[in-house]
Amino acid sequence: MSVISLTVNGNPVTVDVEARSLLSRVLRDQLSLTGTHVGCDTSQCGACVVHVDGKPVKSCTMLAVQAAGTDVTTIEGLARDGKLHPMQEAFRENHGLQCGFCTPGMIMSAVALAEHNPDLDEAAVRKGLEGNLCRCTGYQNIVHAVLDGAKAMRG
Amino acid sequence: MEKYGIGQPVRRKEDVRFITGTGTYIDDVAPEKLTHAFVLRSPFAHAKILSIDTSEAEAMPGVLGIITGKDWMAEGFTPIPTKSGVAKKIDGSPLNQPERHCFAIDRARYVGEPVAVVVAETLNQAQDAAELIEVDYEELPSVTDARRALEDGAPRIWDDIEGNFCLDFELGDKEATDKAFAEADHVVSLDLVNNRVTAVPIEPRGAVAEYDAASDSYKLQNATQNVHANRATFADVLKVPADAIHHVAPDVGGGFGAKNSGYPEPPILLYAAKQFGRPVKWINDRNEGFQSDTHGRAQFSKVELALDKEGKFLGLRTRTIGDIGAYCWTVGPFTPTGGSARTQGGAYLIPAMYYSAVATFTNTMPTDPYRGAGRPEASYQIERIVQHAAETLGFDQVELRRKNLMPADSLPRKTPMGLDVDSGDFPEVFERTLKMTDRAGFEERVSESREKGLRRGFSIAPYLECTGGAPKEFAGIAFEKDGTVTLRVGSQSTGMGHETSKPQILAHTLGIDFNKVQFVQADTKATPIGGGHGGSRNLEVGGNAVLKAANAVVDKAKVLAAHLLNSNTDDMEFADGTFTDVKTKQTVSMDDVIAASFEKGRLPDGMEPGSLDTDSTFEREVISCPNGCHAAEVEVDPETGAVRVEHYWVIDDFGPIINPMLADGQVMGGVAQGLGQALMEQIVYDDEDGQLVTGSLMDYALPRADSMPRMELGYYEDAPTAKNPLGVKGAGEAGCCGAPPAIVNAVLEALREDGVTHIDMPLTPEKVWRAIVDAKR
Repeated sequence: MSVISLTVNGNPVTVDVEARSLLSRVLRDQLSLTGTHVGCDTSQCGACVVHVDGKPVKSCTMLAVQAAGTDVTTIEGLARDGKLHPMQEAFRENHGLQCGFCTPGMIMSAVALAEHNPDLDEAAVRKGLEGNLCRCTGYQNIVHAVLDGAKAMRG
Repeated sequence: MEKYGIGQPVRRKEDVRFITGTGTYIDDVAPEKLTHAFVLRSPFAHAKILSIDTSEAEAMPGVLGIITGKDWMAEGFTPIPTKSGVAKKIDGSPLNQPERHCFAIDRARYVGEPVAVVVAETLNQAQDAAELIEVDYEELPSVTDARRALEDGAPRIWDDIEGNFCLDFELGDKEATDKAFAEADHVVSLDLVNNRVTAVPIEPRGAVAEYDAASDSYKLQNATQNVHANRATFADVLKVPADAIHHVAPDVGGGFGAKNSGYPEPPILLYAAKQFGRPVKWINDRNEGFQSDTHGRAQFSKVELALDKEGKFLGLRTRTIGDIGAYCWTVGPFTPTGGSARTQGGAYLIPAMYYSAVATFTNTMPTDPYRGAGRPEASYQIERIVQHAAETLGFDQVELRRKNLMPADSLPRKTPMGLDVDSGDFPEVFERTLKMTDRAGFEERVSESREKGLRRGFSIAPYLECTGGAPKEFAGIAFEKDGTVTLRVGSQSTGMGHETSKPQILAHTLGIDFNKVQFVQADTKATPIGGGHGGSRNLEVGGNAVLKAANAVVDKAKVLAAHLLNSNTDDMEFADGTFTDVKTKQTVSMDDVIAASFEKGRLPDGMEPGSLDTDSTFEREVISCPNGCHAAEVEVDPETGAVRVEHYWVIDDFGPIINPMLADGQVMGGVAQGLGQALMEQIVYDDEDGQLVTGSLMDYALPRADSMPRMELGYYEDAPTAKNPLGVKGAGEAGCCGAPPAIVNAVLEALREDGVTHIDMPLTPEKVWRAIVDAKR
């Protein structure tokens, strides 16, 4: 077991983890942040995407010990002061989700995509979401949501 | 009210949870003192289990115990029977049904079949211990191809079942069909493979079981689509009364049929919870899911079409081999038989049809419903053979289809397959779809593609569907003093938005505030019956149950309204949430009537406070027939075989649309799964040793955002069905019916000049490239 300290959704946390524990499992099982979902075991589906030091990371592909000293944001940390993040609003407004299981990872990827690409267009969104699988929506409304959310983020 | 009324794109209530990460899916459920189960699965397609030694594993840290097939049989637990709607062979004898126990007992018959279950304090401990279980297998020859399984000398999967044969089936008029073929000017025929695929809901299957010794009862939280039916199954297996199990589904992350079945793991978990006196959780990982989630399609068909010299269809004859895997799963034998027969012939008027099928055992994970379950297969068969007829006989594909669609004045009509097509306008839907596709600009787009060295093709695919699933549904409405209303239903959403569409129907009918409606589903304690989800039944059965219960509330409220206004009940009219005395013009709102219903002093004699609460059951008499038309334009790179769907158009006739935003979601999601089947998805088992080759998302391709075209959708709402009060026809599975033939036919049209006449799905770049190369030879 290793004791690691990191910041999660703005709060400092210290947690005792097995060396083999994945970041996704520690977030879910030890920090009770169950919004981060696990949909596969080969880093294909992207349901587990969180931000580590501002970058989107598949948390099932990172050991928890590797996250020591980092600043992690999960889906639960996206809304601030009781106000939804514009990307969250955009997913709801555009019906960018159905069962909701891929949604946290999809939104976290979308936020990062928008932050790093000021001039997103449809093709760039489709390409940019290649690491996130959705089985319900056919992606069209997700694409609309990301474009709308990105626009709202730019203000 | 308008904003939340029927027909409005009301934004979803459930989204508030899902976009903030506060939904509760099965892996988020964690009762106190939780333990974890790991399922050890057979690594062989076919093997005798000579012995299982668990002693070393049992001594591992954290292990509470290990359950094997031997333990299971010692308890006397019973096998899970099939509920297939077709359960007899043509000769009237029952289907050949092997016993399906929750464990492989002395022989494993597919890769992934449960062999032992370890329960430990943590999942890691359970997995570590499972590695130390010593199973002595004797490998046997296996067969994973259904066509080969029927051949003489094929490996025998069940000792007491000859020829790996489950049942045969026929429907239609064989004699009339044979006569139509004998007299036809043209006969075309095609051998088709409908590829084995699997649903891959992004949330894997899983469950949490608890046992309460004091009451000798169980609680099962389960990522299922159907709590009532599966509770009955599990209770039978464990030989306990159904009401000893409280079965609940939390938020379920997609199902598409694969979470409908009676699976082996939940009963094992219930037993383990009792045996070890602790709650037990099991969650499949994705690799386990590919082995142990039910698969779908897996049909091999010969399709023949008879035409006269003008191109009029005279007869259709289809012969199918359906691969049902190693066992008769929950309804597995139905899909390739009755399930694929009903919509034979699609949207066309074909005077004579005959469908026959045989369902076959193989050493594979059994097949069970996957979005459409038989109708996508039938749709693919008819549209492929029509396209083939157009290409080989020299007809224009659009004209040939146009000429043979069921005319509007031919409805209502019973097809030769016995399907009651009561409403719709196939030619109108076809023409509207065609109009969207900009046919005039097609040749120019072909030239543009050609300049890039690419081929471009177009096709159009009308489809005929039918609904299914449990015919009965419950809806209960209960009012609270604070003005909130609780709606309980036995139907279930696994992502389709029922938490929004059902309250929409209730709020619209009662004229009350949509936001005051609380929604409860998927809980055997909340509703006495429930059909869960399947067969596009949500609005058709569940929605009508809500409407029926709401109308009963209006009738009761009318009596109270009359009392409050000193009027006669017969003089009361109700519209838009207001009761009006037609004589005095006095009014009282539904909200006021509901408030008064809690005040004893304001009630008429014989009415008790709270008596507006209503429980009601709706029963569907006849299944309805959703229909519509898809069209696709594709670009193919002959150098690489890569296919891109450039444009996609759909018009659907689902009857009146309750929430167009949700309907769009159903169509687009269905098209994506249909595109997946057409272009990339395929479960592959090794021919030699029966290993599952596509055991992970590294090997099994799913459509990604970049795989999908932008889809243009529309609805034809002018032909509501008279089969149910809402007039709705079911929307969930249609996308899977239209997309595979539209896309495959468009690709083949693009490759006509290369001499390619047929490629079996999925049309991967390799297969397309090889087809082009082979055609050149």
